[in-house]
Amino acid sequence: MLTRQISLSAPIFLFIYLFQEAAMNQFKLPGGGFSLFVIFALVWAILSTPEIAALTGFAAGIMMDMAQNSDGPVGQWTLIMILVCYGVSYLGYGDGNISGNPIGVIFFVVSANLASELLFIASGALLGVTVGSFGQVLITLLGNSLWTLVVAPIVLPVFSFLHNFVFETRSA
Amino acid sequence: MRYGGEGRTRFLLIILIVTSLFLITLDLHGVTLLENARQGTQTVLSPFQRAGNVVLSPFKNFLSDVTHLGRTRNQIEKLRADNAKLKATLLNRKNADAQLKQLKSILDLAGTAGYKVVNARVISQGSSQLFSQSIIIDSGANAGIKKNMTVLSQNGIAGVVKDVYPNTSLVMLATDPSFKIGVRIAGTQQIGILTGRGSSSGALQLLDNQTTVKVGDVLLARGSVANRPFVPGVPVGYVTFVDNSAGEIAQSGSVRYYTSFSGLGVVAVVVGAPVTNPGDALVPPKPIPTPIPTVTVYVTPSPSPTK
Repeated sequence: MLTRQISLSAPIFLFIYLFQEAAMNQFKLPGGGFSLFVIFALVWAILSTPEIAALTGFAAGIMMDMAQNSDGPVGQWTLIMILVCYGVSYLGYGDGNISGNPIGVIFFVVSANLASELLFIASGALLGVTVGSFGQVLITLLGNSLWTLVVAPIVLPVFSFLHNFVFETRSA
Repeated sequence: MRYGGEGRTRFLLIILIVTSLFLITLDLHGVTLLENARQGTQTVLSPFQRAGNVVLSPFKNFLSDVTHLGRTRNQIEKLRADNAKLKATLLNRKNADAQLKQLKSILDLAGTAGYKVVNARVISQGSSQLFSQSIIIDSGANAGIKKNMTVLSQNGIAGVVKDVYPNTSLVMLATDPSFKIGVRIAGTQQIGILTGRGSSSGALQLLDNQTTVKVGDVLLARGSVANRPFVPGVPVGYVTFVDNSAGEIAQSGSVRYYTSFSGLGVVAVVVGAPVTNPGDALVPPKPIPTPIPTVTVYVTPSPSPTK
């Protein structure tokens, strides 16, 4: 069962990652833009068990660390995504008001996205990664959250369908 | 806790966290395996990024026009005046023409100073999610590019080569918060350090408290030892604000970059520095102000008031 889930999930993750790197990164959106790959990973984690969510975070984080424009050391995004993905799944799993409700999922995605950014800044400060002035960081955090709030409802049905297809369980 | 939280899940979580911490440690110790993995990923991704750049260019242009609506109003009005056929032709050629114009300007700039350059197209703008300001260009080690080489735009400094791969390179833009460049005020020998701020302006810190800077002063790259990472004489920007606070040891201020970082399509990497320092040869000419027509109205009072 797990082999089937992984073999189905892997190409989906790779496709979204490729789409993010080849297509989404071509655009310089105002306010910092958004990461479709992060939104995807978070939706996937929210709809999964904490165990799967932690693995999702690990895989997504590794892929983000491998991105050429990733500033921090390899493993930084991995650590952040493990914690955030596990956290959202731990809080939401089994609660129909959160993971079974699209509004709950979107709220979690936006919050988790913001949390991941804040963790990146905090861990970056420890690891010597420069993130810019306070104002610029604030604009990026705000812009990124707003973009995520706009994009997440649009892509949620697709991601939810894919998750349902792979795990043959509930969907948002 | 809503989930059962079996020991297996916690054990898995601990293993994953330890693995990620292990990876961070390895990377901080400079283990080449991880660097090779990143390079391998980029080698795989670069063809897709090139394809994405080609396919999405019209959308990028459209988005750029929308976000710069105020600045491109004249251009839009001109396009409106064209007929449908010319519009279609223009739209198809717009991207190529813009890149050609940028390339011509870059070559003019490099030719004046005697820089030997390798031209490259921007194939990815990087992600703001990562807080870094970088671009990926379609030339790499195979074209003679090495780490820490100066990257030029049509108007001046664009950034510095941060990482090199066989066919692509990662360029840290001058707007990146970790970007620092030694600058000289054109026409003088006053020096300072310019730091990126994540926006279109940088922060200038003069090194000498005996010198002064004023708004409008042009800044040029001072140049580095062995011309890497920076060759001398490259226009960087002009001073827009000067902080004369009494508590400051030396003057500081804000600098507006000459380069428009949102519209970078073509750049040039300086692979060979000039034999002699170009000095102030690359200082951009000051714009010639457009004369404003003056209308004088003569009014002669009538002999008797009208009712």
